[in-house]
Amino acid sequence: MFTLLRLEIRRMLTDTRFLILMLAMPIAMYLLFSTIFENTPPVDGMPEAVRDMISMAAFGAIGAALMATAPRIAQERTNGWLRQLRIMPVSGRQVITAKVLAAMAWGLPAIVLVDLTAVIAHGVRLPAWQWLAIGGLLWLGTAPFAALGTFLGYLTGGDSAFGVTYGIYLFLAALGGLWMPVRILPSALQHVAVTLPSNRFAELGWRIAGGGSPSGLGAVVLAGWLVVFVALAGLFYRRSNALR
Amino acid sequence: MSESSAPAVEFRSVHKNFGQVHAVDGLDLTIGRGETVALLGPNGAGKTTTANLLLGLLRPTSGRVAVLGAAPGESIAAGRVGAMLQDGGLMPGVSVAALAGLARDLYPRPRALSDLLAEADLTPIADRRVDRLSGGQAQRLRFAMAIAGDPDLLVLDEPTTAMDVEARQSFWAYVRGYAARGTTVLFATHYLAEADENADRIVVVAGGRVLIDGTPAVIKAAAGQQRVRFTLGDGDLAGLDRLPGVTAVDLRGPSVTLRTTDAEATVRALFLGRDRVPDIEVHGVDLEDAFLALTR
Repeated sequence: MFTLLRLEIRRMLTDTRFLILMLAMPIAMYLLFSTIFENTPPVDGMPEAVRDMISMAAFGAIGAALMATAPRIAQERTNGWLRQLRIMPVSGRQVITAKVLAAMAWGLPAIVLVDLTAVIAHGVRLPAWQWLAIGGLLWLGTAPFAALGTFLGYLTGGDSAFGVTYGIYLFLAALGGLWMPVRILPSALQHVAVTLPSNRFAELGWRIAGGGSPSGLGAVVLAGWLVVFVALAGLFYRRSNALR
Repeated sequence: MSESSAPAVEFRSVHKNFGQVHAVDGLDLTIGRGETVALLGPNGAGKTTTANLLLGLLRPTSGRVAVLGAAPGESIAAGRVGAMLQDGGLMPGVSVAALAGLARDLYPRPRALSDLLAEADLTPIADRRVDRLSGGQAQRLRFAMAIAGDPDLLVLDEPTTAMDVEARQSFWAYVRGYAARGTTVLFATHYLAEADENADRIVVVAGGRVLIDGTPAVIKAAAGQQRVRFTLGDGDLAGLDRLPGVTAVDLRGPSVTLRTTDAEATVRALFLGRDRVPDIEVHGVDLEDAFLALTR
């Protein structure tokens, strides 16, 4: 079981598409946004460089959680690896747990690399407890996205998985306020934004960086999505593995 | 029956229907410990369905399947079964040694990694990425994974399908080497020569049921027979079909082939009735013929 987790984590290193989209892209976008909006006055007690740092760390972590699960699971359903695992002494639950943990493990470098870039490029300085709280909350908060990715992996086929997942990823990022603040979205979209897990996920970090504590409503919304995605993942997992 | 004395495999009137299709249609089969058994049949005979029932990937519509005295899923979870599926895959993006190592990690009594790699001839390519293996190399890795846990039962579903002749021969050498340890081996194949050369018992299946079950020699005998061929020249065909043992007479050009259940008696009678029997040859029927005769 531990070897399975270790391999699940290590194999992502050979996936260049994953490394570029999930690790390099958020860093590049952070540098772009934080430079364009460098002279924007602070909002909610947060300089733009900090706000963008959290947005892009969240963007990277969501991407890592989705892309380490959905396309992988869909591919392995097609190529027969998941079937091979079923005739070995390992339970389906362990197989999925390893995938979700590996996805969350990759969320960590996604978060840390953007934070490091912010420190180096814009001299962002935060108290230690804020760094730890932001990193820790964002890392734990990837769980709903790992569950969503697992659900999409069982829902979609090997060919469509990446496209479908990437589309949902961009939708969640754009409407969740990760690319531009929710307050500059049209008001109808603002109502949608605050219901999205991506928005409530990044909000965990924004609140801490602004000197506050996480919003209770936000945590409830995020937990609600986690329950929904876990239920859907479980449903489609069972449908896929049902003994005929 | 205690677990250690229970048969390796037991099917009791097993039926498996997919809608209107009876993929397995009343299968009865018992395989004892230590046997090497070939499940031989044409495509669509129900071999893969049988293997999947055995591995707990399918549930029988009716009847009972037991593996090593327990339900298939229990024996798999206990790490007592190793298998190569026909549609089983490999984890992409990792090395041969890493994946063999994963298999070792999952089984409760793993064999040494160096032994596994050596036995499946993977040592020279241990560091190669799984996605860069040839068909034969990938099958050898699957084989290494199947034997990683020193299983009591090894199930191979058409393991040589993607291999060329040479790869096929060396693959069977690895399997025979492993079977010599006393492990029970059940393999499905539609290559008749593979069954003949590598099994000590052949179970011919067609239409989802056992057609005939025995040693390769028994299978050949049951399919009828041997062939006696000689050159007729200007001799007479009359009476050949009444010779002892003869079941069929086949005239092709100048040569006659007699199918017989008792070659010795046929030949003796042939010589009694004729001055000369030029170019006489006696053949056992090869498995290919036996198989065709049986599944016709």
